[in-house]
Amino acid sequence: MEDHRILLVDDDLNLLEMLLSIFTNAGYHDLLAASSGAAALQLWREQKPDLIILDVMMPGMDGFAVLREIRRTSRVPVLMLTARGEAEDRIEGLETGADDYLSKPFLPKELLLRTKAILSRAYPEQQRQVELAASTVDLSRAEVWKDGETLSLTAKELQLFEKLFENAGRIVTTGILCETICGEFWQGYESTLSTHIRHLREKIEENPSRPVSLITVKGLGYRLNLKEEKP
Amino acid sequence: MNPVQRFFRRYIFSTIRIVLLFIIINLTLFFLIMVAGSMSDSDTSFSVQELSGHVTLQNGVWTADDTALSLMEESGAWAMLLDQNGTVIWQQDLPEELPRSYTSGDIASFSRWYLEDYPVKVWAREDGSLMVAGFPPRTLIKYYYVLNWPYMGFLLGGSAAVFLFNLFLISFLLLRNTRRVEKAMAPALQGIQDLSHGRPLHLDEQGELAEINAGLNRAAAYMTRKDNTRAEWIRGVSHDIRTPLSMALGYASELEDNLLLPQEARKQAGIIRRESEKMKRLIDDLNLTTRLEYSLQAACLKDVDLVEIGRQAVSEVLNNGLPGQYELTFSEIHPGRSIHLSGDAGLLLRMLDNLLQNSMAHNPQGCKILLSVDEEDGRCLCTVSDNGTGLSAVLLGRLNQGQDISSSRDGSTGTEHGLGLKLVKQIVRAHKGTIQFSDSVPHGLTVQISLPGGK
Repeated sequence: MEDHRILLVDDDLNLLEMLLSIFTNAGYHDLLAASSGAAALQLWREQKPDLIILDVMMPGMDGFAVLREIRRTSRVPVLMLTARGEAEDRIEGLETGADDYLSKPFLPKELLLRTKAILSRAYPEQQRQVELAASTVDLSRAEVWKDGETLSLTAKELQLFEKLFENAGRIVTTGILCETICGEFWQGYESTLSTHIRHLREKIEENPSRPVSLITVKGLGYRLNLKEEKP
Repeated sequence: MNPVQRFFRRYIFSTIRIVLLFIIINLTLFFLIMVAGSMSDSDTSFSVQELSGHVTLQNGVWTADDTALSLMEESGAWAMLLDQNGTVIWQQDLPEELPRSYTSGDIASFSRWYLEDYPVKVWAREDGSLMVAGFPPRTLIKYYYVLNWPYMGFLLGGSAAVFLFNLFLISFLLLRNTRRVEKAMAPALQGIQDLSHGRPLHLDEQGELAEINAGLNRAAAYMTRKDNTRAEWIRGVSHDIRTPLSMALGYASELEDNLLLPQEARKQAGIIRRESEKMKRLIDDLNLTTRLEYSLQAACLKDVDLVEIGRQAVSEVLNNGLPGQYELTFSEIHPGRSIHLSGDAGLLLRMLDNLLQNSMAHNPQGCKILLSVDEEDGRCLCTVSDNGTGLSAVLLGRLNQGQDISSSRDGSTGTEHGLGLKLVKQIVRAHKGTIQFSDSVPHGLTVQISLPGGK
């Protein structure tokens, strides 16, 4: 993850400096910085970053225009940063092809969490192994290694696990998990979810009846605890 | 029925009452005058029949007694008695110029009209003679009518018909006029009402009230301009604050997590970070409340599950790190059952989050917070209750009366009430719901929100 090349774009130099500091401290070392839309496009063409953190409001060429230009030829993941919190901006950003959208002011943790989630979605082959207390999950092969044994994950179990892994350490509600495996109209699938969770536990937990990695948060949903969480 | 229609209905009914009162008073006055006139008629005291009774033939001579003379004197009358041939056989004060003998034609004429200019009354006696009493000229008026029976019926029926037709005509003209006034006034009055509710307005500037409508349009445009300016100003300020606040939040967070710094410095950085987060929340609230207030953002209503929204609200607070002094629980009254309603998931989530944050903000010493969701009689209920210090009775009363308490201070904790509750109320209103604030038992605050249920 730390090898990813990230392009940071903001016209405010102080903020740009802070973004560099946040990513550097989080262990990202291949960082590029641009303070205008034109400079961002030039760096994107020359350096081919793996992720772009793009400010929306910039003088001259704004973030939406930069994104439109990028999207003509590339699917590189883009996280938009904006000082405007309105829903319309969010929708416009996502419609233009942004992968995520974060309003200023933001917590560094939130920015890093979203960056991690986008990278894990965009470059899954580099995120193949997840270490848990009793097992290791290989997302690219949909396999679990436990006690020297290899177990296969079904498609639904893999979808569930990926969602939980994207939000590792955080509660993911029943509704969001049901939506992940059943789509928008997930109502009534809670029991199906329980079945998938039980099967998943049987594969990743040492003792499925006393889970330590895939925890039930009563009344709310589930939380995935990693063995050793890295930034 | 809106107030404008109510006003004109009342106006019509009061006008009808006035017309009826007018008719009743006029009929009463007419009969009173008739009665008074007939009572003031001096002739009622004079009866020719009575006079005739007091004129008798005594010893071959016609004689009037004292009563007869007194009766005549009171009325200034004269009298004569005609025999069957029309000859005067007795008279009292008969004017000189009047003849002493009358033909049957003369008698037929004066009995209906006048004798010379003297109004007279006659009485046919049983003995075949005729008693005639005359009065001074211009003391009595005599009319003579001859009507056919069919014409009489037509006259009476016609009078009633004319009266009813007039009543109908007056009512019709009155209602038509009122309708015209109502038609002209209603848009302007409705416009004033819309203005008072801050709704957009554009009236047709034509007709008799064109100037008034134009004035209202100008007022509405002025208010809209003012609202937009205010909203733009708030957006501008909040936008300008966002970037510097990002720096404060970002660096404070970095410093707080920097293990190389002394414990005290990291603690202080933590305080800056938490306060910056409060400011971030305040800006978000300010922006959203402005957008809802000035209708810049409409609630995007979809079929949503209140249970899932409740779960997400509680999970969000827990995921962001719940300080140790608080305990947050989510409860479904009917576990496993969805609660559907037509709502804006983002706004409802924000509403619940604000209520949870409100409980924490007003109980810095810590408390237990419970968010429960339920469905009852087609209404979706969500209740946020805590066992903290609660609110004063005065503030509770003001909140339940729909008053704005932002910028007021809570007496018990000294915490200032921000925009959080104002925003909650706006979101409840956008969903056509109700909100009730009450004390928890034994202490604390309970906020219950009732929203109309969905399918």
